[in-house]
Parts: sequence; structure tokens; C-alpha cells
Amino acid sequence: MPKVLIATDWLAACAGCHMSLLDMDERLVELLHHVTITSSPVTDLKVPPETGVTVGVLTGAVSNTHNAEVAKRMRSRCQYLVAVGDCATFGGIVAARNLCGTEAALRRAYLETESTVGGLIPDSPELGRPLALVTGVPEVVPVDVFLPGCPPRADDFYFVFSELLAGRIPVVLPPEHFRYD
Amino acid sequence: MSAVFISINGQKVSARAGWTILRAAQAAGIDIPTLCHHPALAPIGACRVCLVEVTGQRTLQPACTFPVADRMEIQTESPKVVSARKFVLELLFSERNHFCMACEMSGGCELQSLGYRYGLDHWMYPTYTQKFQVDASPPYHLLDHNRCVLCRRCVRACAELAANHTLDLRQRGAHTLLCADMDVPLGESSCTSCGTCVNVCPTGALIDKRSAFMAAPNQVERVATICTQCSLGCGVSVVMHRGHVLRLESLWDGPVSGGLLCKRGRFEALADSRRRILEPLLKEKGRMVPVGWEKALAEAARRVGREDAASLGVFTTTRLTNEALGLLNRIFVQRLKAGQCGMGNSLVPAIPGAACAKMADVLESDLVLVVGADPAREQPVASFFIKRAVDKGARLVTVEREASDLSMFADACLPPGEMGIAVDLAQAAAKPVVFYGAAAQKREIEALRELQAKAAFIPLQPGVNTFTAAALGLNAAMDPAACRTLFVAAGDENGTFDAIAAQADPKAFVIVQACHESPLTARADLVLPMASWLERSGTFTNTEGTLLRAHAVVPPSGQSRSDWDILGRVAEKLGVDAGVVKKETPVCRI
Repeated sequence: MPKVLIATDWLAACAGCHMSLLDMDERLVELLHHVTITSSPVTDLKVPPETGVTVGVLTGAVSNTHNAEVAKRMRSRCQYLVAVGDCATFGGIVAARNLCGTEAALRRAYLETESTVGGLIPDSPELGRPLALVTGVPEVVPVDVFLPGCPPRADDFYFVFSELLAGRIPVVLPPEHFRYD
Repeated sequence: MSAVFISINGQKVSARAGWTILRAAQAAGIDIPTLCHHPALAPIGACRVCLVEVTGQRTLQPACTFPVADRMEIQTESPKVVSARKFVLELLFSERNHFCMACEMSGGCELQSLGYRYGLDHWMYPTYTQKFQVDASPPYHLLDHNRCVLCRRCVRACAELAANHTLDLRQRGAHTLLCADMDVPLGESSCTSCGTCVNVCPTGALIDKRSAFMAAPNQVERVATICTQCSLGCGVSVVMHRGHVLRLESLWDGPVSGGLLCKRGRFEALADSRRRILEPLLKEKGRMVPVGWEKALAEAARRVGREDAASLGVFTTTRLTNEALGLLNRIFVQRLKAGQCGMGNSLVPAIPGAACAKMADVLESDLVLVVGADPAREQPVASFFIKRAVDKGARLVTVEREASDLSMFADACLPPGEMGIAVDLAQAAAKPVVFYGAAAQKREIEALRELQAKAAFIPLQPGVNTFTAAALGLNAAMDPAACRTLFVAAGDENGTFDAIAAQADPKAFVIVQACHESPLTARADLVLPMASWLERSGTFTNTEGTLLRAHAVVPPSGQSRSDWDILGRVAEKLGVDAGVVKKETPVCRI
């Protein structure tokens, strides 16, 4: 049986969800007998293959146009999209920016911090443009499985991957794998 | 009330006419989720989480307010009900900041557990964008509007339980905000900091400052005991994490107040920053040196045992257990016949033959008369009951020298000279209840005697275990200067006995049994470290005359020992029969 292809990517994330994924430790090795991780932010290959994967994993909130593009690319290249972490599912900590507004957040971060001298708000065309509102992934692309948590525990990742490998879609997580914090 | 027969999820259930669907379901062991409902508060059906399907009803109905009727058929988890509940939860979650990762209540939050129960892993509404204020102005608790779900439990607790009516809602719809008085910061409002609102809040909107973020709510344990801050002795639930006391909470089925606590009982009892005494200390060559218990107790017994009765003094706080006060009586009153036996606070004069009422009786009265007492300051929980009676239509008459916090709730505030009017008003009432305190003058007490046959009386004793201390003859005389040997059972009293340090004869031998360092322990020749109120068990007789049992919830600090343990050992050394002193009673886990 050919291995199942999995790709992961992050949007506006703190990397905590990917750390938690790596926390599966030796179970990762066991998992790799059945799956191939084609690409991820923590490996050399970052971009999911154009030929597509079975499972796409997204962490982080949609905060700028780049995040939205990455989310759309992942959606178009995967069969099942898993939104991982509170940021990807609800907006999470990143959505706190909505309380003050994007403009004010940029000013505070790049111009007004106490240590800034002659600050500049980055506006290179290579960079994504910050959106007016930070949202979770479902506001941008349809999501098949939600795995909230800040971050979800390694056990929760393992559970979701095991279910998907067994051909089941864990639409509603069992209580022991369902946490908001 | 007549029985009705209904069916819940196809199960035949009997209930009583007048019950709500929720009550009938609970009685039958069927779980209906709730959020704004609280057993101690009147149901208002605000949150719509308890919606159920009732055959014949056009729409879903809230189980917490909808009354049962004979042959009613109810579905509590049908697809229609579950979808409505999820809809309600999505609205609640998306309205404000309900992200759990940075919330003190995560793990104990009722909104969170409902989200888990209904698998709410995302919602269709936009993420929240509105920022609300955090009001941290009260001394011991804070209000974070961002976590509020507007269930109005706090508003009802403030009105129905504390009867203070500080909290209410302002504005409408999504702009609705909890507010205090005419929208002032809580710390500047009429809030008495009783903390009942903090206790009933289902989310992290109202939290205790001291224990915030110290332990996840699902990792704590609760132990029941009684509060010994005043002479009421309300039941209290001690919240602990790995042997550390985090905070004090309402004990809803507890004695005296049925869950009510005041600022002193809920917050100040844990805010004591005085230094504890951790080992027995004896003055040798002008310096206090640590000595073992054996030597300290032998010295205490030797000193009090050899002193002449006339120049022996015993002064005690009324914050000791019945057991300890009984031992003081056996040692100093009965055996040594000490010339000076005094207690740290005054005593309310007795009205012989008067019928003693319980706190709950106040709610049934139609007139409350308060004479020579300031319950709002001394026994705040009693003032909550009085204000609740006023809310129920009772008239409040106070006889006081100067205005108290209760005056603004009173129908009549009379000066002591007009005691006759107060008595006449009480005579005209159907079920008057009289509270009288230590500030009542002889003339006022005599006037109250006229009400003996008519009214129920509740003396409001100052101190804690005043009733027992006085009954055991520990309030006879208190002149420290007349003593050559002094035994002061100061306990955790704050400042009450400090004057003794200066008043006592410089040559007198002063033995102090205390929890904390004070000017008195600095003067003392022998210091016996005492366990604090959370570290010792024992019984108390409260101001109503009810016997209450306190439980040790944490082990004693350092080498300190329970009040009755220390005195029992002194008695043993003196050959005084200590009677039956109960071993530490087992802790009562909730």
C-alpha cells in the first residue's frame, strides 16, 4: 500500500502547534511507516507538491494576504484540510489585533515601541499586506477537520492522524482530545 | 402540591405541579445543560442553553423557567434542541473574548464545558473585534467584561443574596454591559466586596485576584469548614491546590448563612500578612530563645501553678474553640481561681426568657429592629439577611447613636432616646425580629424586655466565641497591672491585647499563646505558637447559640499546635483533669 502524503504549513502562527506535532516523538517514526511528509515549515521542502497530497495541515490565523494565499494553495492541493490550533480554528491570540485595528498595531510595533529610533512600517512588495481583520482558516477556505487547542497536545495530533489513516474523519473530537487551552 | 406525570425523552417521570422542567429532570437524574441558572438564584431563562422541546409548544422552551404540566412530553437532546443549543453557544462564544488559553477559569468554566459537550470546534460568526474594559478597582476581585456572557448571575446574587443591589446591566443587545450603581468603577461603588458575584460567575469575568492563575480550576480540591471571623460562623469552602489554600468560597449547603460570606470571611481572612510564630520561645538573659515544647509547657505550668490566685491573670481572645475555652476555665477559673479573668471583647447583655431566633427566621419577619449593633460592619452577613427581609417587605427600624451602612435601608433611624417608639412599632408588627448588640445601653435592654413575648431575638455578639467564653466565666475582670503572672491566649487577634504589653507590671511573667508576632509577643517571657484558624479543628457556639464544627484543612505552620492541644498539655502538667478533648476530626472533603 503506498504511503499517504501529508503536507503542513503555517500562517500567522507562533510555531507552537508544529512543536507539539514534533512532540509525538518516537510515534513520528511509527507514523512514517505509513505516511510521507512531503513538505512543512520545519523541513527543507516548504511548499506542498502541485501533484497534491491527501492530508493538508494548517496552523495559525489568517492575518495578511500571504497567509490567505498559503491557505488557498494548501486547500487546492490537499484532499482533507485539518485546521490545527486555536488560531487556525477561531483566530486565537492573533485575533487580539482586531481589538486595536491593523493600523494601530503596525504603528505600535514598528514606530512607537520605546526602543525604536527612526522606525519604518515594512511595505516591500514581496511581503503580504496585512488584512483589516484577523480570522481563522474557515473564513477563507473550507475546512474538513478542526483540532483546537493552544497548542493541541501531541496525543491529539496522533489521534487525528490515526483516525485519518484508518479512513475515518474525526468530525467531532472525543472529549479527551478536545481542548480550547 | 399535587403530583403530575410527564415524560422526558420517553421516560415516565413524576413531578410536582409548580416545578420547572429543569427541576423535574434533575429529580429524575436527567441532565439538562444550563448556564445562567444557579441553584441559589431565581431562574430567569436568560441564556437559552437549557432549551427543550415540549410537545404542543410552538417553539423551544427554557427548562429552567417552564413549569411542568400533567402528561407533558419533553425532549432534552433531540436534533432540534441540540442544533438550537449549538446556535446559542456559537453566539455566546463569538460575542466577546472567549479564548480559553489565557483565561484563569479554563478548566472550570461552564461556557467552556458546554463548548466541549456540544463539540463546538469552530463557529460561523466573525471573530470578536470589540474591546471592553477590565475593572480591577475592587480590592480583592476584578471584573473583565471581555469574558462576560451577560447571564446575570452576579446581578441576581447581588440583589437576591447580598441584597445590596450594586450590580445591574446597562444598554441593550450586543452593547449590554454589567455596571455598578450609576456606572461607576466597582471599587468606588456601593459594593461591599462580599464576593458572592465572583462565586457564582460561570466564566472568568469575575475572578478572585489573590488566587488568579495559581491553579487550574479542575486541579483544586475543596474542604468544608466554618468561618471564624465573627460570631456568626458561616459555612465556608476552602479551595486548595496541593496543600496550599487558594481562596475561600461559598458553602451553599453550609450552616448559618447557606453560602453567604462577607468581605472579611471571603477575602480578608486570607489577606493576613503578619509573621507567624513557628516555635516556642522562652526569654533567657533578656533574649527570646527557641525551646522545645516540653520545656515551654513545663515552664508555663510551673509559673501559673505557683502564682497566688489574686495576682494570676488569664486574658483570652474569644476566637478560641469551645474545647480551648473549656480548658482555660478548668485550669484558671476552677483550679487556680485566678483573680483576673478577662476576654478580648465585650458581651451583649442577656435578655432572660427571650426567644432566640436563627438567621433564616429574619426572612419571615415583617419588622426588623436593630438596637446598639452595627451588623453591616461587625457581622456583615447578618446585614445581608436584614436587607433581604427589607426587600421582601419587612420594615427596618434602627436605634443607633450615629448612622451606619444599614441606615440607608432603614424605614426609621431613631436615636437611643426614642427607644419607646421603636418598641411600639415592634409591638404593632406581626412577627418582629430584634437584633441587639453590645452597644445597647441598660435602658434600651430594659425597653426590649417589653417585647419578650412578642419578638424573636438575635444577640449580635462582638468577637467570635463570646457566648462560650462568657458562659465559662472568662469575662470577670481584666486589669493586667494587678497581675504578677499573666497568661494571654491571644490567638490570631490583631491588636486587641497589644496594650497589655505596656500595662503589665514590668516584673510580671507574661505567657502569650499566639499565632502571630505582635508588640505583646515582643514583651512576653514565654511564647507558645498557636495554629491558625485553618490549621485547627474544634467547635464553636455562635451568636445564635448554634454549635458549629470547624475542621483543620492544612497542617499547622512550624511547630505550632491547636489552641486546645496546648492548653490540654498545660492542664496535664498541672494535674488538672483536661476532660475529653477530641482528637483532630477528619477533614470534610466536598
